[in-house]
Amino acid sequence: MTSVTGSSMSMTSLSGSFKQTQAKPETVNKVCEIVRKQLALPAETAVTGESKFATLGADSLDTVEIVMGLEEAFDISVKEDSAQTIATVQDAADLIEDLVMEKDA
Amino acid sequence: MASAVPPPVRSEVLLLFRSLLRTAREFADYNIREYTKRRTIDAFRQNRDLSDPSAVVAAFADGKSQLEVARRQVIVHSLYAPKVKNVMEIKH
Repeated sequence: MTSVTGSSMSMTSLSGSFKQTQAKPETVNKVCEIVRKQLALPAETAVTGESKFATLGADSLDTVEIVMGLEEAFDISVKEDSAQTIATVQDAADLIEDLVMEKDA
Repeated sequence: MASAVPPPVRSEVLLLFRSLLRTAREFADYNIREYTKRRTIDAFRQNRDLSDPSAVVAAFADGKSQLEVARRQVIVHSLYAPKVKNVMEIKH
């Protein structure tokens, strides 16, 4: 065990179960914002990680536009086959995080 | 009679849409860039519910030729790129 000299550090316990998703909440929120703007959703419509684009009323053209918007917002480039697999907000956020990590690596 | 060309598959149409939007992004001029994006989106939305296969083929071919035009124009316009940013692009 390492000895900590100086001020003692207290670790806050991470209670609660971690979801297996990788995307940070800020990323998910930014994605939700872009989706909301693209689909012109009223404020009452809930947009969360699990929201499917199809249920929010997006057709395939909307999905392409959303992916384009995400590319510009996060300064990434989504490959064609990856773009086809995006069905929910969470998918998009995870993909974005992967691409941002690759870019910064 | 010309032999029937099979209508494009959904993925081909979406690929054309994406290519047009990507090409639009390469324009240096704000006006042309925004126009290309807007026109692409409007045209694809307008032709969304085409049922007649020959109309679909014609629209797709038109889209492809426009993509070629846009690609050429990106190169030509880059030779004469505006030196000053458009006022709409300046973030306040």
